[in-house]
Amino acid sequence: MSGNYRKWPIILFLGVLTAPLILMYIYLFVDTITNTPPGSMIPNEFTLEHWRLLTETIPGRPSIWLATWNTFVFATATTAIVLAVSSSAGYALSRLQLPARSFFLGGIMVLHAFPTVTLLIAIFLILQMLGLYNSLIGVILVKSALELPFGIWIMKGFYDTVPWEIEMAGIQDGATRFQVWTKLVLPQVKPAILALGIFSFLAGWSEFVLPLVLAPDNKVQVLSVYLAALIADDQNFDMALFKSVGVFYVIPVIILFVFFQNRLMNIYSGGTKG
Amino acid sequence: MGNSKHLGLYLLAPAGIFVILFFLAPVILTGIFGFTNMSTATGITGGSYMVSESSMRPLRSHFGEEALADQLMQRVYTIDEAGLQAAAEAGGDAAAIRELEARFLGQSFDRRRDVEVAIKSLNARPSSTRAIKLISAEFERSVVNTRFDTPEEMLAAIAGFGIVLNNAQTEALVDVAYTGWTFTTQNFKTMLELPDTKKTLINTLFYVFATLILFNTGFALVLSISTHYMPSRPAGFFRSIWLLPRVTPPVLYVLMWKWLAWDTGFLSVILEPLGFAPRNWMLDTPANAWTFIILINGIVGASMGMLIFSSAIKAIPPALFHASEVDGATRRQQIWHIILPQLRWPILFITIYQTLSLLTSFEYILLATDGGPGGATEVWALSTYLKALSNYGGALQYGYGAALSLVLVVIGISVSLIYLKLFDFKNLTAPPKIE
Repeated sequence: MSGNYRKWPIILFLGVLTAPLILMYIYLFVDTITNTPPGSMIPNEFTLEHWRLLTETIPGRPSIWLATWNTFVFATATTAIVLAVSSSAGYALSRLQLPARSFFLGGIMVLHAFPTVTLLIAIFLILQMLGLYNSLIGVILVKSALELPFGIWIMKGFYDTVPWEIEMAGIQDGATRFQVWTKLVLPQVKPAILALGIFSFLAGWSEFVLPLVLAPDNKVQVLSVYLAALIADDQNFDMALFKSVGVFYVIPVIILFVFFQNRLMNIYSGGTKG
Repeated sequence: MGNSKHLGLYLLAPAGIFVILFFLAPVILTGIFGFTNMSTATGITGGSYMVSESSMRPLRSHFGEEALADQLMQRVYTIDEAGLQAAAEAGGDAAAIRELEARFLGQSFDRRRDVEVAIKSLNARPSSTRAIKLISAEFERSVVNTRFDTPEEMLAAIAGFGIVLNNAQTEALVDVAYTGWTFTTQNFKTMLELPDTKKTLINTLFYVFATLILFNTGFALVLSISTHYMPSRPAGFFRSIWLLPRVTPPVLYVLMWKWLAWDTGFLSVILEPLGFAPRNWMLDTPANAWTFIILINGIVGASMGMLIFSSAIKAIPPALFHASEVDGATRRQQIWHIILPQLRWPILFITIYQTLSLLTSFEYILLATDGGPGGATEVWALSTYLKALSNYGGALQYGYGAALSLVLVVIGISVSLIYLKLFDFKNLTAPPKIE
């Protein structure tokens, strides 16, 4: 950036701070395919035994493939709902004349900042009353709802950047507002839809507290709850096994992160919980 | 164009339904549940009426109806048709039951021993004590532990035992015998009385401000300013690395910290040659537990500040930096006079936003220490979860948990409104141009 200052001290400084974090990630991968003698940090043999979980089911736990499937269904369904609902609501808020428009906008912004975990107890009781406790449908609906204010806000922001001229031209040529939206405006915001989609998928894939509270059963267990239960079990302590499950669980996240890092950086700086 | 008014509402409707079901309803219900004694014992839908050991306790202590409680708890043994039939079905000696019916039908006994004496007096008396007890058990009659759907049914059953109640007693009994949840302000009194509340509150304030100042703004500033003074390649590398904890699923991210802190983990192995006995560094003392909690949360939190501050620094015209360098400004002067003044609003934004999320999120603490050791790291949000939703505690206190969350909900709504006021709401609501 600025040419007149020496750069290496600052790179060294940040490098030292970053080293422990890098080390933690390196050991995460290394420990899943090696054995290390006790009292040492240097692995002495290569092994695939920690990956046996892919072919064997641990007694009393669901198969890891069932948990993977549940996680996939959960993340995909959440993404689909978030995309459908926020792209339509975002358009309405950005471009259409609405009664009490500023009330809706303010409401979405308050909901965006509002800490949703505080509603967990009430949501738990609502799902119990509706009979959706311990079902994937229930937890999908809740997760989608909690992601919506953020999604609508992001989509509204992207619609705001689409030039009005495109829509004016469409109207001039006799299209209805609905046609203008689906045929002209939606293609303009494709990158936004992609970014929000990846973000929602990752959010669903990583979610822990909602499935833990709302759908803890073996049949509907997702990978995060599966892994947490494995770690919490004091009888079978096996750090390498935990790490293998963890690496298996994080593969899709890494792939998406590597390919879409810049889009994610944009959307994360738009503000998320945490 | 009148059409588009409706189009807007149609497009907004699905979002509206979600908001009503999963935001509005839960907010209102948290308010309502906070004023109830709902728990696993009372159930969540409705209750029934039952005389039992536990419902008699308040009748004795709160209403002073010792005698009535004793009377209600008393069991009576009556030789009746229903009992005879039940004894036959349970496999009681048929001849004995026939003779019992002929000689004792309609008689009542106060104690089980007396019934058994009567059975022993029969000509066709069963030979073993077990067989006698089998028959005698079927004649026990009492209101204890029987569920009634309405108070009237319960009172009628009690009257059937010849127990006469005055109005005050009836009222007191219906009150204590109800097993469902009722409205109460007890939760808030308990909250004020319990010493735990104060400790949790102090924990929460410490946790929020320490994490916020050290990491979410402090370390985020270090990251964004130091990467600003680097060539773009290493800058991009460092930003990606520090974004990883935010992208890593929480369960796995905390697992990595546990590996670091475990008694056979990284720290123990590294520090053993230096004379520190291996131990679980995350849970051995409250101070260590707090260090880990703040690191775990802070590093995730810092990445958001890093991104926002970095893009704010990028928006500063480069000419400003060049001009100041020509004038001989040091790096420190640049940071103090150019960068930090530009970051005033982003810092305010991060502070408000992250205060709220630190105050209410408990995911990482739950996974890392679960509030331990000995409740040392239990913050307010975690305590609502532990009281109302964690299975380890046995009985789940929904009502008390909701009351605790209600405090957070109220803070959440007020801070969100402040947020809305501060961040330029007018600009965001510019009216559409096609109407």
